[in-house]
Amino acid sequence: MADEKFDAIVVGGGPAGLSAAYVMAKAGMQVIVVERGEYCGAKNVFGGIFFTNVMRELIPDFLKDAPIERNITKRRFAFLSSDGEFGGDFKFDRFNKDFANNSFTVLRAKFDKWFSEKVEAAGAMIITGAVVDDFILKDGKIAGVKARMDDGELYGDVVVLADGVNSLLAKKLGFHKELSPDSTIVGVKEILSLPEEKIRDRFGLNGNEGVAYEYFGYAAKGAIGSGFVYTNKDTISVGVGATIKSLLEHKLNPNDVLEHFKNHPAIRPLVRDSEQKEYSAHLIPDGGFKKFSKLYGDNVMVAGDAAGFVNATLFHEGTNLAMETGKLAGETAVEAFKKKDYSSESLSLYHTRLKNSFSLRDMKQFKNSSETLDKNPQLFDKYPDMIGDLIAELFTVDGEAKWPKERRLAMKLLTSENPFRLLKTAIDMRRVII
Amino acid sequence: MKHFTSMEDKLGLDKFTAFEKSHLKIKPGSDPLVVERKLFICPAKVYELNDKGEPIVSFENCLECGTCRVAAPDEVDWMYPQGGYGVTFKFG
Ligand SMILES: Cc1cc2nc3c(=O)[nH]c(=O)nc-3n(C[C@H](O)[C@H](O)[C@H](O)COP(=O)(O)OP(=O)(O)OC[C@H]3O[C@@H](n4cnc5c(N)ncnc54)[C@H](O)[C@@H]3O)c2cc1C
Ligand code: SF4
Repeated sequence: MADEKFDAIVVGGGPAGLSAAYVMAKAGMQVIVVERGEYCGAKNVFGGIFFTNVMRELIPDFLKDAPIERNITKRRFAFLSSDGEFGGDFKFDRFNKDFANNSFTVLRAKFDKWFSEKVEAAGAMIITGAVVDDFILKDGKIAGVKARMDDGELYGDVVVLADGVNSLLAKKLGFHKELSPDSTIVGVKEILSLPEEKIRDRFGLNGNEGVAYEYFGYAAKGAIGSGFVYTNKDTISVGVGATIKSLLEHKLNPNDVLEHFKNHPAIRPLVRDSEQKEYSAHLIPDGGFKKFSKLYGDNVMVAGDAAGFVNATLFHEGTNLAMETGKLAGETAVEAFKKKDYSSESLSLYHTRLKNSFSLRDMKQFKNSSETLDKNPQLFDKYPDMIGDLIAELFTVDGEAKWPKERRLAMKLLTSENPFRLLKTAIDMRRVII
Repeated sequence: MKHFTSMEDKLGLDKFTAFEKSHLKIKPGSDPLVVERKLFICPAKVYELNDKGEPIVSFENCLECGTCRVAAPDEVDWMYPQGGYGVTFKFG
């Protein structure tokens, strides 16, 4: 490959890299995507809901052949106590129509592969089974990348780094420091198969409708984290995620947390009689805006998880941020290609576009969320049972008159927790949530 | 519910193609007890101590998440496995 030169090299064939490549190839640039997996998607794991607002811009008729599992029409947010759950959900029929609220469950091994085929059809070249370890520098500037294989040198005018959360390459450039244990979440997940009919009956669904259930509180066995249950066509995705710091502190292995979650009385009935198909693990960068990487330099831009674009609050958005940042990096590269100027100054257009995009604006809004949760561990160990007990007692039918019972429970709450701390936690939580 | 709970059985669900050389190392000079102090966090239980108290790294079971790298940056020497090797997810 040594003598070939591309207009652009994209490292990583996930949603960020594929979006960048798609935009550049459509504009007539010579693009190569380098992916370490056997195929695009082979290494990729998420919850999850693929949010398709950016996909709709790039490939408006994607629903024609994209491997979609279900339209998410119902979402539930619940708090687990040690023996119960309390929470709220919403379900709207409008989410079942037309664009389905841009919220679809997908399986990444299939979905990313499908997307990569669209990118190839748009004219980009994709090599799989090749891991990029380093850059090629010329006069101190990036001139290409080195893949760990014979003849692995690839030359290009601009490199889009979309190598995901473990971006060893962005680290190598000094664009960001190492991920920190308090703001990095490890997620583990199982795919469980169940007949379609059973999934519809169990979750109360028609046709292609699906649910996304998110569980907070005691979902991660007391660690700072959450759990999820999502419905696919004939499988369900069940998983938990927790910060590395709090797992270390609680001496918990993520798989033990997952076992605990699957056996919780609120979850067990949802997963019973199913057959295990796959077990996986993946990180989520939850450092937010404060831990962002530098986003561009001479001949290089960073997009998606590699730069830290994940909104892990209630919204659990990552795929759309990856696609948006990839798309904007691609558009910036197209402008640079026209000007034949890939200097840092020229690529600063990427940052300008990000500032006007939902991607950077959302990251700024939630910039304190992981820190806030880290400072409020009581939400994950003490409060779930404290609040759960109050609700359970209030609704226990035992002949106690309501007024004295309510007073007794209010007193109980105030003696088990400092009211100011309670109030402060409530205020902190509001900032994390909306 | 007759689900697998042991790590061995769960990893048996996945497709792995092991490369001849390990992509994971415990840095020379590290205290082997890092395995008990921190590396218990590995979701695939790749790190264990043998009877002699020496660390064993079953790299062929690695799910390539990066957790060990973040949990013990001073002790773990981490890189991606050779392209095309390692775990291949069918669902993801
Ligand atoms: C447990 C969990 C649940 C989640 N749930 C959701 C959800 O419900 N909704 C949502 O929107 N988001 C969710 N996310 C986040 C979402 O998955 C990510 O934000 C998104 O995948 C990021 O896309 P990306 O393209 O930046 O990175 P990735 O999807 O990680 O893609 C990076 C690609 O680069 C390749 N690669 C890496 N290094 C190299 C290299 N050196 N050489 C060659 N190739 C390389 C990888 O193999 C991979 O294909 C979740 C994440 C996790 C872990
Ligand atoms: S990368 Fe993940 S699965 Fe592999 S050894 Fe490290 S913690 Fe374990």
